[in-house]
Formats: sequence, structure tokens, C-alpha cells
Amino acid sequence: MKRTVGQLMARTALRVPLFLWTVAVLYPIFWMFLGSFKTNAEIYSNPWGLPETFNFQNYVMAWTDYNISTSVFNSLIVTVLGAILCLILAIPTAYAIERIKFKGSHVLFTLYISAMMIPMVLAWIPLFFLLAQLNLLDNLVGLAVVYALSQLPFTIFVLTSFISTIPKSLEESAAIDGMSPYGILWKIVTPLTMSGIITVTIMNTIQFWNEYFMALIFLQSEGNYTLALAIDYISNEAQYTNAWGTLFASLVIAIIPVIILYAIFQRRITKGMTEGAIKG
Amino acid sequence: MVQNKKQKYIFLAFCLIPTFVMFSIFTLYPLFSGLYFSFYEWSGSSQSREFVGLNNYIKLFKDEIIPATIWHDYFLVVTKVIGIMILALFIAVALTQLKIKEAPFYRIIFFFPNIMSVVVIGILWMFIYNPSLGLVNSGLEIIGLEKWTKPWLGDEKWALPSLVLPSIWAGIGLFMLLLMGGIANISKSTYEAARIDGANEWQQFWHVTLPLIWPQIKISILYIVITTLNGSFIIVQVMTGGGPNNSTHVMGSYLYQQAFKQYNFGYGATIGVMILVVSLITVLLLQFLLRRDKVEY
Repeated sequence: MKRTVGQLMARTALRVPLFLWTVAVLYPIFWMFLGSFKTNAEIYSNPWGLPETFNFQNYVMAWTDYNISTSVFNSLIVTVLGAILCLILAIPTAYAIERIKFKGSHVLFTLYISAMMIPMVLAWIPLFFLLAQLNLLDNLVGLAVVYALSQLPFTIFVLTSFISTIPKSLEESAAIDGMSPYGILWKIVTPLTMSGIITVTIMNTIQFWNEYFMALIFLQSEGNYTLALAIDYISNEAQYTNAWGTLFASLVIAIIPVIILYAIFQRRITKGMTEGAIKG
Repeated sequence: MVQNKKQKYIFLAFCLIPTFVMFSIFTLYPLFSGLYFSFYEWSGSSQSREFVGLNNYIKLFKDEIIPATIWHDYFLVVTKVIGIMILALFIAVALTQLKIKEAPFYRIIFFFPNIMSVVVIGILWMFIYNPSLGLVNSGLEIIGLEKWTKPWLGDEKWALPSLVLPSIWAGIGLFMLLLMGGIANISKSTYEAARIDGANEWQQFWHVTLPLIWPQIKISILYIVITTLNGSFIIVQVMTGGGPNNSTHVMGSYLYQQAFKQYNFGYGATIGVMILVVSLITVLLLQFLLRRDKVEY
């Protein structure tokens, strides 16, 4: 009896830090949402409390005066293009590495995988000039290409492990029925790998939507700013304009798609990320 | 059969070559080109490129800011490893061993910051540290420690330590899950045996849980070290831009400043080579230090 009381106490005591960390994680996020509905005067007089009234003025300001609408559009283009291009490049290579016997397949795989560990900062300087030569600097398509290639090793890595779980017999019987290897790749293997494709694409999407530093280097004109750059810009300006409410509203706009994806695909995202870390 | 073999090679080429060409152009070529750039002095325009041999490297060794940036990177590495590992380990053990009903709820909440944009995290925490509006200073005032309030990110001594908290805040979830995965793989009978031998919960943690999840701990530490050395400059760039007075510059943010703000592209590339060398050496050393025979009971 004594022991169970002791255990109960211990259990309660251990819940306190868990509860505190929950508050530490959630409060700043809630507070960001609340701040987006406050007037500037309220942010100064009552920075940590509830807003008196919920007004959407900050969102209107962000969307129109601060061109967040353009940035959302730019971010969407880069994210979608990057994710699609990454898949187009990764699926055939992942399939060939996993299923076709050829000399150097292991070397090729290792080469792609080791690119995940190399600090890419070094490559960004030459990449800057390369993009300039290709007329892809300050260009959303150029950024999408860079994004796609930045996630290519990870995508190949995830897809090879998914393809390895497909039974070979399906491909073999399709080949006996006279299907070409191209048909097998696109009509048999790709649909069967869909679960892996979805997982990796969601992760790439979040990555590209959130990305900041490459956009900072490879985009220049305000009309091309992605959401991360636009927010950074508003944040730097806010020191002079005090447009804190607008800043909060744009942060909320940036985070909502991520929250939605997380709500729907929580299991896939956590599984994909932990496995990526373990093997990488 | 010959036809077949030819077809196989065409298919193989179709699968591998376009991807590899793109990978070579946008990843391999820039990496090696960066190495090459480090022997030039170059301000960006095509005429001004000049071969300077090892001059950039000599400059690197004489640059007083360089040792500071390396030290700042390692400061972040060490504090993040300690902070994240202790908290993640505690949370992972608490959520798996205590049979708390709401454990999935905690897991979902704690992981979320891992997929937030660094920009959002950075700006959120700039507010938390804001001298007049921020949570930290107002919190200190409430508990009567007004003396301790300071402009956290504007203070040369405190700016760098202030960057640790957001990094830990944003990083814990992933490592919590990694460690929970390790703990879930330990069989119940091992704990049973330990209990019969009279080990209390604390002893079980030290002698059963910890040795058996050593592989996950090792992976977590390596992963934190690699991602910090290769990516700490992003949060630095968002929150302080390297200031005040270079007190928070890490290697990557200094590269950005040299190359893309002051147009010393050659010198920037030299810093890039240094980042590559430093992170490779660190990872190899760590792998050596953390090696330990796999424990099985």
C-alpha cells in the first residue's frame, strides 16, 4: 500500500515537468495567434493576455499592404514545383538502385547518401554564380530546382527502403506478360510505393514551405519573395514601423498549412523523420 | 539476349543519367567548385577574379573573428546536446515507463516545433526576449528579479546563450521519439528480471534502459552535432544576424556575411571549406568517442 502511494506521488511529480513543457511549447504558439488579433496599442499595453476584441485588420494589412498574398503564391509555386521535380528525379534512380543489378550501384547509393551529411553552405557560393549564368537567379523556378536537388538524397534514401518491401514476384509476372521495364516502373512499382511517395512528399513540402536561407541567397527582388523572406522582411521593418500585429498575422499565415498537414499526417511525418535520422 | 542486355542498359541509363546529371550540376559541381574558389580573390564580377594561392587560408588563420565563430558553434553544439539529451531522455522515459494515459497527446505536442519554420521560431523567440514586451523580462519582474532583466539578444554576453533555448525548444521532439523507439524495443522481461533482483526504478534506468538505448543516444548526439554545425547559422541569421558586435556569429553566418554582404566570395568559400573540415573531423572524432560495444541481455 505504502509503495503504491509512493508511486502515485512519483507519477504526479513527474507529470509536473511534462505539463510545464507543454505550456512552454503551446503558449508561444497560442500567443502568436492571439497577437495577430490585437491592435498595436494592445500589444504594448497587454502583450501576454487575451485581445479585447478579435479583429482581422492585421490579416487584411498583411495580405494587401505587405504583399503576403504574393509571397504565399510564390511559396506555393516553389513548394509544388520542387516537390514534383524531386519525385521525378528520385523515383527512377531509387528503383534502379534497389532492383536492377549493375556495377557501382552501391557506390552510387553511398554517394547520394553522403551528400546528406555534407554542409551545403560551401556549395551555395558557386551555385549562386551558376544560377546567374543559367538566368535562374532571382527566379522561382531556379529556387525550386535547387530545393528539389537539396532533398534528392533524402528522397532517394526513403524511396529505396520502401521499394525494397515490394515483393519482386509482381514485377516478374508483369515482365513475363510482356510489360516493358518502363511500364513496370510507372504502372506497377510507382503505385505500390505510393505510401512512401506520400510520406516523403509531405516532408519535402513542409521543408520547402519553411525554407529560408537558400531563398535569402538566391532570390533578390521583393516580387519573388517567398513567405519566409517576406516575414523576415516585415520583422526587420517592424523595428521602425511597429507593425507587430501584421507580423503576427503573417506568422500565422505561414504556420497554418504546416499545422493542417501535421494534423492529417502526424504519424507519417514523425515516422519519416525518425527513420531518416536513424539511417542517415 | 543481346537485345535484352542492350534494352537493360538503355533502361538503366534512363533511370540513372538524368538524375545524376542534375545532381552533378547542382550539388557535386558547386561543392568542388567551392573548393576551387577558395584559392581565388573574387568580388563577383567576371574580370576581378584573381588567383591568390593560399592567401585566403592565411587570412583565415589571422582573422580574429574565425576562432570566435568556431567557439560559438561548439558552444551551441555542447549546450544543445546536453539540454536536448537530458530533456528528451526524461520525457521519453516518463512517457513510456509511467503508463500515462495522455502520453500520445504529449508526444504530438512536443514534436510539433520540429516542423516549424526556423523563421517562425526565431521571430517568436525574438518576441519572448524582447526587452520591453517580452515574456522573459516581464516574468523576471513579476518574481521580483528586476535586476536580472536585460536586452537579451542585444547584450554581447547573453545573446549567444539566449539562442540555445529556442534551439532546444525546437529540437526536442525528434529525439524524444528516437529514444522512445529505443525504449519500446526493450523487452518487458528484462525489467522484470531487474525488479526480481531488487533494482529500484532509478537503478533500472541506469542499468537497463540507458545501456540498451545507447545506439539511439549515440545517433541522437551525432545528429544534433551534424545539424548544428551544418545549420546553426540559420537561427543566428534570423535572430541576431551575428551581432551584437559579432558576439553570435557562427561559421555559417560569417560565411554569409563575407560572401553575400561584403562580396568576398573567395574568402567566403575558404570559410566554407573550413566548415566542411571542422564538421568532418568532429563527426569522426565523435564516432570514435561514442563507440561502445552493443549491450545485450
